[in-house]
Amino acid sequence: MSWSYVVVDPLLRDAVIYASTLSMLSLGLTLTYLTTKVPNFAHGSLATIGSYTLLTFTSVLKLNAYYSIPVAFLITGGASAAFYLLALRPLINRGAGLLHQMIATIAFELILIASLNIYADLLTRTFRIQSRDVLLRRFDVQIEGVGPGVFLASVVFVAVTLTALVLLLHRTRFGVAMRAAIENPMLAGTLGVNVKLVYLFSWFLAGGLAGVSGVLLGLHFQQDPAFGSRMLVSIFASSILGGLSSIYGAVLGGYMIGLVEVYGIFQLSRVVGGWILPYRIIFPLLIMAVTLLVFPRGLSGLRLSAVVSRFRRGGVTP
Amino acid sequence: MIEYEALGSAYIFLVNLLAFLAIYLIVNLSLELEYGKTGIPNFGKVLSVAAGAFVAGSVPGRLLGQLFNVYGGVAGITDPVVAECIRGLSPQKPSILNQTEYIEDNVVIVTCVNKVLAANPVLSFGTLVLTLLLAAAVGAALGLVASYPALRLKEDYLAMTLLAFGEFLTAIGYYTRDIVGGTLGVSVVDPFGWVGGEFRYLTATLIIAVVAGFVVLYVRLVSRSPLGRALRAMRDQEVAAEVLGKDTVALRRNVLMVSSAIAAIGGSLWAFYAGGVIATAYDRATWTFLPWVMVILGGAGNEVGVLLGTAVYITARMLIDQYKGLLEPVLPFSVIWLDRLLMGIVLILILIARPQGILPEKPVYPLGRMKVRRIVEAVKSKARS
Repeated sequence: MSWSYVVVDPLLRDAVIYASTLSMLSLGLTLTYLTTKVPNFAHGSLATIGSYTLLTFTSVLKLNAYYSIPVAFLITGGASAAFYLLALRPLINRGAGLLHQMIATIAFELILIASLNIYADLLTRTFRIQSRDVLLRRFDVQIEGVGPGVFLASVVFVAVTLTALVLLLHRTRFGVAMRAAIENPMLAGTLGVNVKLVYLFSWFLAGGLAGVSGVLLGLHFQQDPAFGSRMLVSIFASSILGGLSSIYGAVLGGYMIGLVEVYGIFQLSRVVGGWILPYRIIFPLLIMAVTLLVFPRGLSGLRLSAVVSRFRRGGVTP
Repeated sequence: MIEYEALGSAYIFLVNLLAFLAIYLIVNLSLELEYGKTGIPNFGKVLSVAAGAFVAGSVPGRLLGQLFNVYGGVAGITDPVVAECIRGLSPQKPSILNQTEYIEDNVVIVTCVNKVLAANPVLSFGTLVLTLLLAAAVGAALGLVASYPALRLKEDYLAMTLLAFGEFLTAIGYYTRDIVGGTLGVSVVDPFGWVGGEFRYLTATLIIAVVAGFVVLYVRLVSRSPLGRALRAMRDQEVAAEVLGKDTVALRRNVLMVSSAIAAIGGSLWAFYAGGVIATAYDRATWTFLPWVMVILGGAGNEVGVLLGTAVYITARMLIDQYKGLLEPVLPFSVIWLDRLLMGIVLILILIARPQGILPEKPVYPLGRMKVRRIVEAVKSKARS
C-alpha cells in the first residue's frame, strides 16, 4: 500500500476529472444566466468544441495536447460571444421574451451539433482519422505518483479559474462593474457601466471555460459530437443545486453532482448490486428534484447560521 | 421501365413524406396544445414520444409471445404457424427450440408472431388499438408527473427541469437491455402486415394520417371551445383567469395529460411504422427541438400555422434527403447535418425577423365566420319585418 496507490484509485480519478469539468461548465452556465437571465441550452455542446480542438491538435497537427487549451478557450469563447452578439443581443433589443431567447439557444445547439458532426465528417474524410468514439488518453502526459496529467490539470484548472475570478470580481474596476451589472443592470448602466460589454464578456468567458473543460474531458473520456450535449442534464442539475445565483454555488454543485454521478454510484453498486449502474442519470435528476422541492434557492440560498439557529430553537421553524 | 422506376421512387417519396408529416403533425400539435394554447414551455417532449415508442417496442411483442406460449420451448406453442416458423429458424440457433426470451430472441419471436398477424387482420387491428391505448395511458401518467413542476416553477426553471427529465426514458432505455434491447434495439410486431407487399407502408401511412387528422380536428375544436378561450386567458393573464373562476391548476394538469397522451400515440405509431425501436433514436434534438422549430416556424398559437410549419420543414427536409445523391459527391460531409444547420440558422432569423411565425395567432371565431354572418343576416331580416 504505497502512497501512489492511494492517489491513483482510477475511479476516484475519473470522478474528480468529471466533477472538476462539470463544475466549470455549471459556473459558465450560471454566469450567463446571472447576466442575460437565459439558461443556455447549448452550453454542453460548447464543451465539445474544445474536445474537437484537442482532437485536431493531437491527431492532425501532431502537437502537444495541452497546447490546445488556449486555442480551445479562444475558439469556444468566440463561438459563445458570436452567438450573444448575432442572435441574443438583437433578440433582447427587440424585446423578445425569455421563451424566445431560450429557443434561440436551442437553435444555437442545433447549429453546434450540426457543425461538430460536419467537422467530424471532414476530419475522417480529409485526414483519414477516427473522429467518433475516440479515446485520446494516449496523448496525455503521465506524472509520477499522480497518474495521467489531466487529473492534475483539471484540479489546477478549477483552482486557477476561481482565483482569477475572485481577483477579477473583487480587485478590478471591470470586476466591480460586472458585479454591479449583475446586481442591477439599469442602475449600473445609469452610472456609466457598459452593461452590454459585461454581458458580452460573460458569454465569452463562459464559452472559453466550456472549451477548456472540453479539452480536459476529451483527454480522459471517449468523445463523440454529442458528448457535451449529453452532459447538459448534469450541468443543469449542478447549476440548480448551486442555486443559479452564485458562481461559487455552481462550482460546489458541480463537484457534488459529478462525484455522486461517477464515484457515488459505484460505491452504491457495491452495496445494492450492479443493476444500479445503468441508472446513473437518476442521480442528477433526483438531486435536482430534491433541490427544487426542498430548497429551491439551492446551496447558495442556504444560510448556515439560519440552519444552526433553527436547530437551537428546537428544529422547527414557524 | 425507366418510367415505372421513376414512378416507384416518386411513390416511395410521397408515402415517406406523408408518414413523416403525419407523425410530426401529431407531436407538434401536442406541443401546440401545451405551448401555443397554454404557454407551458415543454422542453421534454421527447419523454412522452419515447414512452409511446417503448410501449410499442416492449409490450405487444411480449404479450403476443405469451399468448402463443413461445417462451417455454417449441413443444408448448399453441399456434402451429408460430411453431413451424420457430422450427424453420432453429438451424441458426438451436436453443430457441427449448426456450426463448423476448429481448434475446427478439428477431425470431417478432418474425414468427408477424406471420400470424399477417394472416389475421382482426388480431393485428386489436394489437394496434390496444397498444395505442396503453401508450396514451402511459403518456397521460407522464403528463400528470410533469404537471407537478409545471404548476410550481418559473418559466426558465421549468424549461430546464422538463428538459432534464425528458432524458430519463431515453437514457434508461439505452443502458438497460430489458425494455427495448438497449444499444441494439428491438423489432416491433407489425400490425400492418396483413396488407402485404408494397401497400404495407401506404396503409400504415394512411392510418397514421387518419390519426393525425383526428388530432388536427381535436386541437381545432379545443381552440374554438370555451376550454380554448380559458387556456388562452390563463396563458395571457393568469390572475384574471383565476379571478373569473378558472381552475388554472386543473387546466394545466389536464392539458399536459392530454398532450402527453397524444405525443405517446405518435411515438407508438412511429415505432409500428418503422418496425423497430432503438433508444438512441429518441434524442432531444429529434423529438423536442425539431417540434419546437416547426411550431415556432409556423406560428405558435395558430394550429393552421403549425400545420404549415410542419409541412414546410418536413418537405424541405425530405427534398434534401431525396437529392442528397446530387449533393453528397460535392460536399465533404454527410448531408443529413445540413438540414439541422440550416434549421438552426433559419430559426434564429425567424425569431429576430418574424417571431410570431409564418401564420401568426389570430382571434378565433368560436362559431365560424359563416355562421356568425348567417346570424347577423337573420337578426337584420327580423328587424326589417
